[in-house]
Amino acid sequence: MRIIRTKKGFSILKSYPAIARNKIFRIIAGGCVAVALTLSGCATEPPANNPEALAAYKQANDPLEPFNRAMFEVNLGLDRAIIKPIAYVYKEIVPDIFRDFVENFLDNLRSPIIVANDLLQGEFERAGTTLIRFIMNSTFGIAGINDFAGEVGLVRHDEDFGQTLAVAGVESGPYLMLPIFGPSNPRDGIGIIVDLLLDPFQYLGNSAFGLARSGARAVDTRARRYDTINELERTSLDFYAAVRSLHRQRRADEIRNGAPSANQPAPMISGTAPGPNVDEWQTPRTK
Amino acid sequence: MKFRRVFLFVASLSVAGILLVAPALASGPDDFVRSTGMQAFNSLGSGISDDERAKRFRAILTRSFDLPTIAKFVLGRYWRIANKIQRGEYVALFEEFIVQAYAHRFKDLSGKKFLVKQTRKLTARDKLVLSEVIIAPGRPPVRVNWRVRGLESKYRIIDVMVEGISMSVTQRDEFAAVIRRSGGKVEGLLAALRKKTQN
Repeated sequence: MRIIRTKKGFSILKSYPAIARNKIFRIIAGGCVAVALTLSGCATEPPANNPEALAAYKQANDPLEPFNRAMFEVNLGLDRAIIKPIAYVYKEIVPDIFRDFVENFLDNLRSPIIVANDLLQGEFERAGTTLIRFIMNSTFGIAGINDFAGEVGLVRHDEDFGQTLAVAGVESGPYLMLPIFGPSNPRDGIGIIVDLLLDPFQYLGNSAFGLARSGARAVDTRARRYDTINELERTSLDFYAAVRSLHRQRRADEIRNGAPSANQPAPMISGTAPGPNVDEWQTPRTK
Repeated sequence: MKFRRVFLFVASLSVAGILLVAPALASGPDDFVRSTGMQAFNSLGSGISDDERAKRFRAILTRSFDLPTIAKFVLGRYWRIANKIQRGEYVALFEEFIVQAYAHRFKDLSGKKFLVKQTRKLTARDKLVLSEVIIAPGRPPVRVNWRVRGLESKYRIIDVMVEGISMSVTQRDEFAAVIRRSGGKVEGLLAALRKKTQN
C-alpha cells in the first residue's frame, strides 16, 4: 500500500483507466474495513468434547483464520486488479528467451542472500555451489542474464533466513497471511526482514532500483505460475484452505532441501507440521 | 554333433529360464511407476479433446491407483463419523472430482522426459519411488515421488508428491476445511463435491 503513496506509484496508477483506479481503491478500502472488523475476531477453539473439530483446528495451525481469510481476499483483489493483468501481458507479448534473461538476472541478484544462509545452515558445499554460480553467471553469463553455471551442471537452489531459523529449531508459529507478501508465518516474516538487511544489492542500488526489482520479481513469478494458479482456483473447493496446505508443505520441503518425505512421522525439523500417520493409510473395509 | 545337441539343449533351457524369470524381474515398483508414468505422459497430451483426456485419465486412475484407500485417507478423521451411505457417495464423488481436477494438468506435460531414479522401502507393504520430470534442459527437474503399495506384481499408487507437495495431504486439508466450515458435517463436503462435479 506504500506504493500508492509514493510519487512513482501514482504514476503507475494513473496509467490505469479511472474505473480500474476506483476499483483498486475500493478493494483496498473494503479490505481495510474487513481486516479491521476481523482483527479482534480469532477463530474460536472447538471444545474438547468434539475431538474431530479440535484435531482439524490444531492441524490447520491457523488461529487467526478470520483475519487471514480477509487478508487473502485483499491480496486476491490486488492481484486481479494489478499484478495478474500485468503478468498476463508480460507472458503473452514478451518472448520466452527475454523472460528467461529477466528471471536469471533476478535469480543471480539473490545469490549473496543464498550464500549467507547456506553458510549459516552449515551447508558449505551448497554455499560453494552458489558462490561459483554467482561468479560464473555474473561474468560468462553476462551480468547474470544467462544461467551458464546451470548448463554445466551447477544447478540452482534457493535459501532464505526463514529456512535458516527453521534449521536452527525455531518454530514457525501460526499461519499468517501477510499483505502483498502472501502466505507466511511469524518466523518467515522475520526471515523476510533479515534477508532484506543481508542483501548487499539493497544498499548498492537506489530506491527506484529496489522498487523495479521487487516489481519485476512479482510479475515474473506471477507469470510463471499463471496457469497453475488458475487451475488451482478452478478446481479447489476452498481456495484459501488449498493455498494454506500447499504453502505449509512447500515450506517443509524447502527446509528439508527437497529430501524425500513419505508423509509419515519421522524425526523432522521442528516448525514443520508433521505429516499423516502411517496408520491413516488403511484400506477401508466398507465400500 | 553330440556336443552341438547338448549345447542347443542347454541354450534352449536357459532361454526358457529367462522367459520364465523375466516377468518376475521386470515388475518391481519402479517398473510399475515407469509404465504408469509413461502412459500418462504419452497419452494425455494436447492432441486430444478434453473428454477423451478425461476418459483416458480415468482409465489410468482406476487401474493404477488404489482409489478407495486414497479417498479414505483424504476424508481422514471424518471417515469415522460418516455413515455407510455417505461413504459410498463420497468415494464415487471423489473419483469424479479427481478426474475433473487433475486430467487437465497433463495437457502440457506430453513428451516431457520422465526418469525413475530409485526406490525406498517405507513399510512392509509400501515403497517410495523417486522420479524426476525434465521440464527444460538446464533447469532443475521437477521431483515427483510415488507412494506405492503392494506385493509381488500387484501394485497400486496411494500418493503422489510433487516437489514435496502430497496430493493426498492437500486434498485432505482442503476437505477438512470445507467440513469444518459447514459445522463439522460430512454432508457439507458432499454438497460441495456434488456442486463441483456437476458440469
